[in-house]
Amino acid sequence: MKKILKYTGLLMIVVSFMSCDDFLDVNDDPNNPVSVTPDLVLPVAQVYTANIIQGNTGRRANCFGNMLMYNWSQSDGYSWYTDEFKYNVTSSFYQGIFNDSYSSALKQYQILDQLEGEKYNNYRAIAKVMKSFHFQLLVDFYGDVPYTEALLRSEEATPVYDDAQTIYEDLITELDTAIFLINNASSTSLVPGADDAIFSGDMTDWKKFANTLKLRILVRQSNMSGRDGYIKTELGKIAAEGSGYITSDVGVNPGYVKEEAKQSPFWNYFGWDASGTITMDNNATCATDYVLEYLTTTTDPRIDYLYEKPSTGHLGVPQGLLDYDTPVPDAFVPALVSNIGPGLLKSPTQDAVIFTLAENYFNQAEARLKGLITSGDDAKTLYENGIEASFDYLGVAEDRYDIYIAQNKNLVNWDSSSDKLEAIITQKWIAVNGITAEQSWFDYNRTGFPSGLPISLQSAKSDRPVRIYYPAGEYSSNGENVPAQPDAFTEKVFWGK
Amino acid sequence: MKKIAIFLSILLFMGTMAFAQTRSLSGTVTSEEDNLPIPGVSVSVKGTTLGTITNLDGQFEFKVPEDARTLVFRFVGMKIQEIAIGSQTTFNVKMTTESVGIDEVVVTAMGINRPKREMTYQTQNVKEEELTRVAPTRAASALAGKVAGLQINVQDNGVNPSTQILLRGLRSISGDNSALIVIDGSIASQGAFDDLNPNDIADISILKGATAAALYGSSAGNGALIVTTKRGKEGDKFTVGVNSAYTAEKVAYMPEFQTKYGTGWEGAYDAVENTNWGPRFDGTLRQIGPTFPEGYGLETQMVPYAPVKDNLLHFFNTGNTFNNTVYFSGSGNNSTFYVSIGDQRSDGIVPEDTYERNTFRVNATKKIDKVELAASINYFTDKTDVVGSTIGDQDRPLYWFILNTSANIPLEKYKDWQNPLSYGYADNYYNAYYQNPYWAVGTNRNIYESNRLIGNVSLSYDIMDWLNFTARAGVNNVWGNGKNWRAAQTYDPDLQPSAGAVSSFVEDTEYQTKTYTGDALVTGNFKFLNDFTLKAILGGTVFSTDTRESTLRANNLSIPGFYDISNGTGALVGTVNESVKRNFGFYGDFTLGYKNYLFLNFSGRNDWTSTLAKGNNSYFYPAVGLSFVATDAFEALKNNEVLSSAKITVGNSTVYNDLAPYRINETYSQSNGFPFGSVNGFYLSNTAVDANISKEKINTTEIGLNLGFFRSRMWVDASWFNTVTSDLITFTTPSITSASTSFLTNIGELQGKGLELTLGGTVLNVSDFKWDINLNYTSSETVVNEIYEGLDEVAVTTTGQYGIYAVVGEAFPQMKANVYQRDPQGRLIVDPVSGHPKTETALVSLGKTTPDYIIGLNTVISYKGLSVSTTWDYRTGHVYYEQGSDAMEFTGRSMASVSANRQDFVIPNSVIETSPGVYVENTNIQVRSGRQSYWTDVYNDVKSNYVKDATALKMRELAVNYELPASLLAKTPLQKVSVGFIGRNLLTWLPAENRFSDPEFNNNNDNRIGVGGYFQSPPTKSYGFILNVEF
Repeated sequence: MKKILKYTGLLMIVVSFMSCDDFLDVNDDPNNPVSVTPDLVLPVAQVYTANIIQGNTGRRANCFGNMLMYNWSQSDGYSWYTDEFKYNVTSSFYQGIFNDSYSSALKQYQILDQLEGEKYNNYRAIAKVMKSFHFQLLVDFYGDVPYTEALLRSEEATPVYDDAQTIYEDLITELDTAIFLINNASSTSLVPGADDAIFSGDMTDWKKFANTLKLRILVRQSNMSGRDGYIKTELGKIAAEGSGYITSDVGVNPGYVKEEAKQSPFWNYFGWDASGTITMDNNATCATDYVLEYLTTTTDPRIDYLYEKPSTGHLGVPQGLLDYDTPVPDAFVPALVSNIGPGLLKSPTQDAVIFTLAENYFNQAEARLKGLITSGDDAKTLYENGIEASFDYLGVAEDRYDIYIAQNKNLVNWDSSSDKLEAIITQKWIAVNGITAEQSWFDYNRTGFPSGLPISLQSAKSDRPVRIYYPAGEYSSNGENVPAQPDAFTEKVFWGK
Repeated sequence: MKKIAIFLSILLFMGTMAFAQTRSLSGTVTSEEDNLPIPGVSVSVKGTTLGTITNLDGQFEFKVPEDARTLVFRFVGMKIQEIAIGSQTTFNVKMTTESVGIDEVVVTAMGINRPKREMTYQTQNVKEEELTRVAPTRAASALAGKVAGLQINVQDNGVNPSTQILLRGLRSISGDNSALIVIDGSIASQGAFDDLNPNDIADISILKGATAAALYGSSAGNGALIVTTKRGKEGDKFTVGVNSAYTAEKVAYMPEFQTKYGTGWEGAYDAVENTNWGPRFDGTLRQIGPTFPEGYGLETQMVPYAPVKDNLLHFFNTGNTFNNTVYFSGSGNNSTFYVSIGDQRSDGIVPEDTYERNTFRVNATKKIDKVELAASINYFTDKTDVVGSTIGDQDRPLYWFILNTSANIPLEKYKDWQNPLSYGYADNYYNAYYQNPYWAVGTNRNIYESNRLIGNVSLSYDIMDWLNFTARAGVNNVWGNGKNWRAAQTYDPDLQPSAGAVSSFVEDTEYQTKTYTGDALVTGNFKFLNDFTLKAILGGTVFSTDTRESTLRANNLSIPGFYDISNGTGALVGTVNESVKRNFGFYGDFTLGYKNYLFLNFSGRNDWTSTLAKGNNSYFYPAVGLSFVATDAFEALKNNEVLSSAKITVGNSTVYNDLAPYRINETYSQSNGFPFGSVNGFYLSNTAVDANISKEKINTTEIGLNLGFFRSRMWVDASWFNTVTSDLITFTTPSITSASTSFLTNIGELQGKGLELTLGGTVLNVSDFKWDINLNYTSSETVVNEIYEGLDEVAVTTTGQYGIYAVVGEAFPQMKANVYQRDPQGRLIVDPVSGHPKTETALVSLGKTTPDYIIGLNTVISYKGLSVSTTWDYRTGHVYYEQGSDAMEFTGRSMASVSANRQDFVIPNSVIETSPGVYVENTNIQVRSGRQSYWTDVYNDVKSNYVKDATALKMRELAVNYELPASLLAKTPLQKVSVGFIGRNLLTWLPAENRFSDPEFNNNNDNRIGVGGYFQSPPTKSYGFILNVEF
């Protein structure tokens, strides 16, 4: 009997140990925090933004623009750009632009946007500016997209799709709010520092960028009929606000360095890896014959900066070439063709540009040309500033700019250009080549410029697509809301109709 | 009855001959039960035909040779007894009833032994001899085809393979569907099961459903495998034994590839291509590989432009496995012990893949009065050294490099890859895009060592005749470390202009898991009102598991060939992952019996878990069951010569499942690339979590029937089950625009139904000839009843073009892929310009990836010491995705790519849509780019082309064994010698459309079932010899 008591006692001890709450209180993840401060959220968001434009492990907006706008082609020995050459718009074609925008960059900015209180005014403002940047890009690629119900995570698994133009209008409001938040920040408001990988916490720069984005949004709508009044009103507000526009290229740089996973994305993808080895993508990617021809004809010194010049001279490949070996076998191997040039591939630590200064000048020039802005520098000055900014970015000597611009050539010299708008858009095409080339595709869909751009040899259509498809994932996970796939070759986004 | 028995015994000994005998033995045989003498018992000298039978008083007397060592006593319905002769001349032997059929006692949940008649659910046992017949290195693989309701998927055949164990299909979309493993009473893991030396296993009891295993709580929702390791048998004398096996492993079959076209691109010959879009083979001598400059020391390589027979097959070696176990077993003085030492050494079919492992086990028991103590310790250590899986600049698996070798390449000739003047050397290798597989083997290694210590102690105290207290504690610790490295490779830009330089890295991994379990229970057996019995069990259990794994990676090493993290440039990349999970529970189990033919069981368990929200982390699971032995209940059925037993069971149980640790909160992680200097950054998890996430519920109803025939010589088991899982804890796929790629929530309902049938027993038993058979049939299907409003499917894994899904109203797991557009008559709709078939935008369900049914057949035919056994397994009704075939389409080696002779062609039975809904037969619009890009860019984009019938018939085991007669051993110290030939997977039959790989291969040991054939080497078969000697 004593033994029974003994064992029962033992059991009781075990039981009392087990019923202790502490025993079960072990559900805090030791490796992953459940909350972090905004300075740890922001730089990640900005690096994501950079990757969506430049691609880091996959092709994104800039690459898309270069392929669609005939800047880039493919060297012999690679089957790299088959879908691009076929204009094979499927539900997986460049779906990373859609997916990464929502699930990486916007997710992070949303965390900042949802912060409450004056303390976070600056972070909230940055979040709103960057959300606007991304949502505009999404609208420009896809038209209607989820906006009002998007980014709510567990609260809304199937967001509705909002009207593209309504989103555009709300972006203007959001950008106004961003400027308001900055202006109303108090001394207790946190000011980002090194964690702001774009402007290092200079909130005036953020206001300028907000205005710059507003201009891009408004100019994009400037081909629509009956839209001038709205555009003028909004442009007037920008002028009234007074901060002006950006004065240098807008780029992300958290401290890129020549190490694995830490290199500037464009360099990392199209240049050299952290060990200094050239990437396959560098070898696979080269100039088209047309673009080299164009730059040669216009005596554009940027040719040697946009494209690497082999010792045998510049050589481009028509997009969609099937037989690389006729008439001369191995004529287009990587060593013989013009791969991406040194003005674009600068260093592993280069800024990941998301908005070029040149584009901003061209946007201003277009607005001025169309009479949407009526004061300040004239269109010609703005146009030339744009070209100059492009030369600057690529590292071309100032005197060569002067020589270039002085040529009596259509679409080079302002006064020699018969169609000023064509000149602006064509020069923008060269200026954003290899940097933010998707902008050029939007312009093409809106204006039809640059004119005379060839299409891929493998295209079954007479022109390039004007839209891309929603990802397949939306049809399985959000089938009730996602619209039917548009005709990618005819159904333009609202601003292009 | 006894008369018949006597008659049978007499018949059996009709042929017994008497020889000159030199020693007289005598004795009496009585029954243990009632102490009455048993007449007609056969008494023989082991290993000989010498013998006699007892007379009506149970007495016997006969003469035996001087060297006779063991007497064997046999009587129908009694346990066979062997008794050492020694110097004795008189023997008083007590025989005990052999419990067969429904009176057989088996191990059930919590280590409780019960006669089958009491059990209200279905179990099946696999005995040691069934497990080790073909000397498997993993016990799991030896279960395939042997148990109804059990599906074993051998997922690869590397030197250290992994196996998936599924009981009764799947119950959860995102959760674990693997069966619970219990070893010697303590909850273990599949890892621990795989690490056991199969020779150490005495018995595996398979508790098929949640009802059987409900006492184990949450983890038992998928049924359980209760593994009991060997103990020294009481009454055994000291035995030393050796089990040895050697097996050779060979590639069973390679993928079927075209051998008409060789290296080239768009119809033109290309000397350095990995692709096969060149001209037709013509036998002429052609250059392959780079052109070497004058004086290079190597002539430019020329080979006939013709297929080299089996060029890829010959890359693979014949693997070898040596497996030796030495064991010691014995007993005495109320104690038993079993000790074993095992050693396995294997070389794989992939050159330089090796595996070594050692196992040590000590099992001991001691009885002190009413207390029995048992302890077991198992230590395991192994070392795996295999080729890395991130080879080359594209991080590809080895198989990729092999498959990217054209038919005209003499692959075997590139072994000398380290010699700068060989064609196998990186700069000289023929293939400009994918490296020499021999180089890959030498420059990519993944080496890991693991250790496991399992210890169990138990105490069983018979407080009263009717009251027992048992307590158990177990520890299962595993720890290990790994080193994975890749050497850098740069190329001469003139010889290899297209090669992508390979960066180097070394990755050091350490991991450990510590699991502790404890439980205590009191069992009482009561009898009342004459006809009633009650078995009551009350207990408590506690479980805790801690895991930790860390990885350090150094990139771009400075010193070639020095694989240490100090050798990296740039920052080290490191991660640590830790987790703790704990739970405890109390349970009660009551079995009320009436007249030993009707049993009603109630059980309940309440659990508390650490992984759910506080205040909502406890749950109760009830189970109820009924067992009715009809043959004992009705007079008319009693003592029937044909139907010896008939039992019907009905049961229902509920089990809840909790979450994995740390899942209730959304968390942040450091973002890739961060920190940049002093700037650190964290990203919010891509998984959004429902704020109200809670437990999932599994409810199972099952009905069973067990019939025994001819004194239980033959038996039939049948069961039907219906499992409903509701509030499933599932990673659903939200719209990505919600800023999450998965959403963890409780959703809808999954329903699984199935039928299991087993026919087993001894078909023939005439004289020394015996034929045993076990035929089992399993069918089960899990259907998704409901997900949630607005969502009718969940992707378990998807590429966007194909994937594994859970779809409302369809069987799970469901394969979906994109398909061709067809007109109402099923004809392909082609584009009127390109002739290319059109595809549907949405993915289409193409079938489930678990079989409709599995048939297993086991037969053992024995004659005297010779036995031949086979295990067959047939599965059908499911599909799998030929991932390797998909990946290889690009290279033009598929049979499909030559089906139209590399020309433009009119797709047979195709139509064009002339106006909406109007289809006209296509007679003249040819597929454009039929030479190449139709196949690589159009055909390859239609992923339903790679969804294949996964039907397979396999002869999983063949064993021919011969046990030497004892008479031969009489003058030696040997007790037992048996030798045998064994074979595994010697025959496989697959449907004609599947000629790529084994449909059982799988990339992941989870619910992503049905995608494989790319990361795994080709399927293999193995054969060899086994030897068992006992002293």
